[in-house]
Amino acid sequence: MASQGKSRWADDEEDAALEAQRKREKELKKKAKAEKQQRKLEEEGNLRRQKAGNANEDAAHDHDAINGDSERPSKRRKLSIDRDTYSKELPPAKLLRFPAPEWGPCRHVDNFEKLNHIEEGSYGWVSRAKETATGEIVALKKLKMDNANDGFPVTGLREIQTLMTSRHTNIVALREVVMGDKLDDVFLVMDFLEHDLKTLQEDMLDFFSPSEIKTLLLQISSAVDYLHSNWILHRDLKTSNLLMNNRGQIKVADFGMARYYGDPPPKLTQLVVTLWYRAPELLLGAEKYGAEIDLWSVGCIFGELLTKSPLLQGKNEVDQLSKIFELCGIPTEATWPGFKRLPNARSLRLPNTSQTTGNVLRAKFPLLTTAGTALLTSLLNLNPAQRPTASEVLTHPYFREDPRPKSTEMFPTFPSKAGQEKRRRLASPSAPKRGDAPRIAGEAADFSGIFANRDAEEIGGGFALKLI
Amino acid sequence: MAPEPGQLSSLSNPLATVDQLSTSSSQLDGVPADLESSLRFAGAQLTQAAGILLRLPQEIIAQAIVIFQRFYIGSEGGSFRINALKDVSAASLYMTAKISFLPQSTRSILNVYAYLLSPTSPLRQSPEGSTGKERPDAESYYLSEGSYHSARATLLQTESILLRSISFITQVILPHHIALTYLQTLGVLPPSPTAESSALATRTLAHLNTALFSPQLLYLTHQPPALAVSAIYLAAREIGVKLPSTEWWEVFDVDRETLGFLVVGLGSCGGWIQSERENWSATTCPLTLDELEREIKRRVVENG
Repeated sequence: MASQGKSRWADDEEDAALEAQRKREKELKKKAKAEKQQRKLEEEGNLRRQKAGNANEDAAHDHDAINGDSERPSKRRKLSIDRDTYSKELPPAKLLRFPAPEWGPCRHVDNFEKLNHIEEGSYGWVSRAKETATGEIVALKKLKMDNANDGFPVTGLREIQTLMTSRHTNIVALREVVMGDKLDDVFLVMDFLEHDLKTLQEDMLDFFSPSEIKTLLLQISSAVDYLHSNWILHRDLKTSNLLMNNRGQIKVADFGMARYYGDPPPKLTQLVVTLWYRAPELLLGAEKYGAEIDLWSVGCIFGELLTKSPLLQGKNEVDQLSKIFELCGIPTEATWPGFKRLPNARSLRLPNTSQTTGNVLRAKFPLLTTAGTALLTSLLNLNPAQRPTASEVLTHPYFREDPRPKSTEMFPTFPSKAGQEKRRRLASPSAPKRGDAPRIAGEAADFSGIFANRDAEEIGGGFALKLI
Repeated sequence: MAPEPGQLSSLSNPLATVDQLSTSSSQLDGVPADLESSLRFAGAQLTQAAGILLRLPQEIIAQAIVIFQRFYIGSEGGSFRINALKDVSAASLYMTAKISFLPQSTRSILNVYAYLLSPTSPLRQSPEGSTGKERPDAESYYLSEGSYHSARATLLQTESILLRSISFITQVILPHHIALTYLQTLGVLPPSPTAESSALATRTLAHLNTALFSPQLLYLTHQPPALAVSAIYLAAREIGVKLPSTEWWEVFDVDRETLGFLVVGLGSCGGWIQSERENWSATTCPLTLDELEREIKRRVVENG
């Protein structure tokens, strides 16, 4: 709190200087004006002190601050003058008021009208809905209640807990939790965003431009930085969990795997993060891991934004690990001390030839600048200790070199799949189906209308908007 | 530079509204106000005892007690006559442990509660009675397979009900660690503790733990920094540690009035707990629905 800058304790030196000056002025005044009076007071004080005795004086001294020492006028006078001038110059302290949200029973899901289904995740079904009272469009996520043995699923509880405390522009906002008719119908009401990066990239014809990639990556890293500074691990960062609206804003969603962690890291399950985005230490079975696993996922997302397809598409854990080593080289005791002691590393047979241990990231992304490659290489560092933290990513030189990050307002818009908007596609006809070929010459085809009404058509200016 | 509200979530809790404090659904259901306070105290005590038997850290126990208190508050909250105190206590402890680093199985939770609710439980015997003299009757708290299954169904159902009434706000920020940071900031908790400084820290934490039992529901009405500051103030006065003679509490964003109120509130806890002990020395505080109904009936008869 002392660092808030509002407190008067913040600048000790200045205060001390002020006080010294005040004392000097006061002494001058006293000398000129009230020499006699002071002498009198001191005499009085001396008398009293003699009466009270030495032992009592000590006790009284200790209790000065608390009791307001009414028995000792001389001392008190001095003190109170000091204090009065002090407090007169100070405005009343501005105290920080903490936000105090309220709680009450959950509302019913009937307050929302379901519009369409969006997707099914591992922890719930998501649909687009409209709040009947306000007309606002929201995303409704119905939690899955698989493990009825342990009551309310812990993943759901953690998702609600972590989302509720995370308030950040790049993290999807959980507005409230509503309930259905049955006890285990629970819905999360969240902001609706038009796109997720995965579907968007699948449908996009072009790549994101370098400046757009920088903006996206900055937003992702700032969300991850916020989470980590609040001791939350996301543990499932991937493009399908990154939502984007039509104003180029990214919001991290799906906290089904998220949880609080600590330092030193507690024992956590290794069965986290979608395989393609899973860090090597998780694949090797590390029982203790930390924020670094999220940064590995950010690295995978970075690569995916560059190439429009997931960077490391392993078929299973073993395949994933070999794909990682193929791309990032093979770890050695020098580059990753202690990796051989990880549970799954014992069964690992690694070639020791120096040709195969190299990192091929530079070759795979020839169009990336040196700074960009450096960032990607550091994010995809096999050794978790060598990966940068999210706040280090934010200050990386890659974001300061040209082309600068594009402002989110300048982002192109796309038709939203979740909002059931369709791209008007210049679809090429598909191959003819087997069966009877339509006879052109016969009655089936009528070509009389081909050139009809041609005169009535308006003649355009000679250009048309290109649909992306 | 005003900090974003979201950035303070690690220092603040949701608080009860005035309406929630003035009426409760238990009172609407005919539970007298003084009995309600006793029931809240008994619930906190039961949760604390269960947490100790489960060897849970005080952090989890304290959070469970706060969740328990959040449930039985306001006209829309839970009622002691509908959801039994023992069930809500068990559900809040189970749920809080579940999202912590030390999840507990339903069986260990239910075993502990079966023991604490049995006639041999220390909670069931008056303090003056012959505690510990007789051998505990193991049969009275044995949980058979059948009763385990029905108790588990109740536990899980109560958990859902509990979560719905507190609108899934499971986050409870405790003042304990905040208090330790403040003690360090005030320079009275040196890295190598002296006898005085560790006594001060212990006393501060003791006040914070006692405040969990307060009939004024201090954890639902005040933010953790305010609780921490007032516990430090009171502990320092009791032990005789000299704190800055200026208004140091303002540094921690607590005003004089709040501090005064809380210091009185904390100071009165001890006396209140003592009077609770005496009030329930002859009988035990009703922990189950049946016991509560009997107690209410008895009061109606007594009052004519």
